[in-house]
Amino acid sequence: MFGLPLSTSLLVLGFPLFWILYTIGFLLLTRNWDNEGDER
Amino acid sequence: MNTTVLAFLVLYYVVVLGIGLWAMRRGATDDLEGYFLGGREVGPLVTALTLQSTSMSGYMFLGAGSLAYTTGYWSLWFAAGDIGGGVLNLSIIGRRMRKLSQIMGSLTSIEYLEARYPSPVTRLIAASLTVFLLAFYVLAQFIAGGKGMALVTGLEYEWALLIALAIITIYTLLGGYLAVAYTDLFQSLIMLVGVLWVLGAALVHVGGFTAANQTLAEIDPTILSIWGTGLGFEGQWGVVAGAVLVFSAGYMGWPHVVTRHMAMKRPATARLAGAYATAWNLLFVSAPYLVGILAILILPNLDDPELAIFEVAQTLLPSAVTGIVMAAIMAAIMSTADSLLLQTGSIASRDLYERFINPRASEQQMLWVSRALVLAIGVIGYLVALIEPPAVAFVVIFATSVLGSAFAPAFVCAVWWKKANTPGAIASMVTGAVTSVLWELAGLAATTTLAPVTVGLTASTVAIVVVSLATRRSSPVPTYVLAAMEETARVGPIPERLIAMSDFALEPEATEIESLLRGEEEQ
Repeated sequence: MFGLPLSTSLLVLGFPLFWILYTIGFLLLTRNWDNEGDER
Repeated sequence: MNTTVLAFLVLYYVVVLGIGLWAMRRGATDDLEGYFLGGREVGPLVTALTLQSTSMSGYMFLGAGSLAYTTGYWSLWFAAGDIGGGVLNLSIIGRRMRKLSQIMGSLTSIEYLEARYPSPVTRLIAASLTVFLLAFYVLAQFIAGGKGMALVTGLEYEWALLIALAIITIYTLLGGYLAVAYTDLFQSLIMLVGVLWVLGAALVHVGGFTAANQTLAEIDPTILSIWGTGLGFEGQWGVVAGAVLVFSAGYMGWPHVVTRHMAMKRPATARLAGAYATAWNLLFVSAPYLVGILAILILPNLDDPELAIFEVAQTLLPSAVTGIVMAAIMAAIMSTADSLLLQTGSIASRDLYERFINPRASEQQMLWVSRALVLAIGVIGYLVALIEPPAVAFVVIFATSVLGSAFAPAFVCAVWWKKANTPGAIASMVTGAVTSVLWELAGLAATTTLAPVTVGLTASTVAIVVVSLATRRSSPVPTYVLAAMEETARVGPIPERLIAMSDFALEPEATEIESLLRGEEEQ
């Protein structure tokens, strides 16, 4: 892909994809945090 | 000297100064929480972008470009961890650290460590290590600033360095956390525009991404390899792990960065801030490395690879746009340097001078200690950067490796592991710092193919677990700390009785402010 070897393509695209999925998972798992309210 | 470029740079400084002054007025406050943590009123967008722009220093425009120019696609291993550094930090310790620091009444990250792991030794070791390493880290920003200024103004490096250093130091002495956080927001946007503009121009110049990679393969196919140009890192998974870890897991141990968690408006701010951090990183982080790789085609005979991104910008962009890119580079340098200097000064005055040398120090005296240290770092930094400037990438990777190795397990266990006690945390900090420094100085990375941060993080993690368990009877975690940790784990408002703990912890500051007010009344 893009003239790169497969391993390099995975490095360039795979890690960003992993962090996107991590962030989505984080947002889904922490939906209840917004109920915490302003603690000050 | 290119006057258009210089004009844009001056305009940038004026805007940054204006934002800083506006933020200072907006956050005008007579208490220390206001100065150190912006009154804990910082929202998710500003939190995310101050976190990112503080951690993305001049390294991104000099070190990253240089690494990519010399090692090819291997350098992207650093970006692989860096992209997730923000969300990892916010998701693991963000919400809990914000809550625990409020319960404990802590204003600096070092004070927070002492509150969680109660002992003056905790603070002495943590503060000393941080002051030394942040001062070393800021040296890289001075060198980067000097090189950038020399290129823009055409002045000799000695004079350019002096001007850059003077701007950074004076600007830092101007304001507190809120001014830094809001200028960071603006600077992060400038950095993004600047680097994407250079990347776009470079891609157009080389005929697109695929065409560029095909040409690179013709020059040397190993440039495209994940093992580096000339396959210099082939099979060295320990070094690769270090490259991924230093700006992801290690990032949780940087005291000047985790302070951002403590300043959030509320614990749940971490949630949205994590999403903003990932979005910004996806756009920004890989770009400087890619420009460095494309520079191999655009400027194949560069004398100083650290200037790869500067030179590509000057070669391909019109003067006005180069001015914006130069402003972006200075933004990256200054947004990190001001935070480093502010933190170093705060820690030296509050965590060392007031705590161990002069417990009855007035705020005025502490401010002078802080300013004196900032100036001392400036003078020493100038001399080192002038006489024998080390490579920016080396300084940044070394300092951040040691910081991450020393502090990441202590910060993570502070909110997640109730058995983590004071001897465990102290052993972890000392073991992590000593191991990673010795690993680097002895050149063991080359012979063992294990990066200092890989070894340092492992050693400090093992140390906190083993020593905490071995000393759990002789040094139990105090019950009030356990109660605060239980509350931290729970999602919900902090009960009144625990807020009272915070009031108790902040009592010395309250007394100080009260005596100041009394003094004013008497006058």
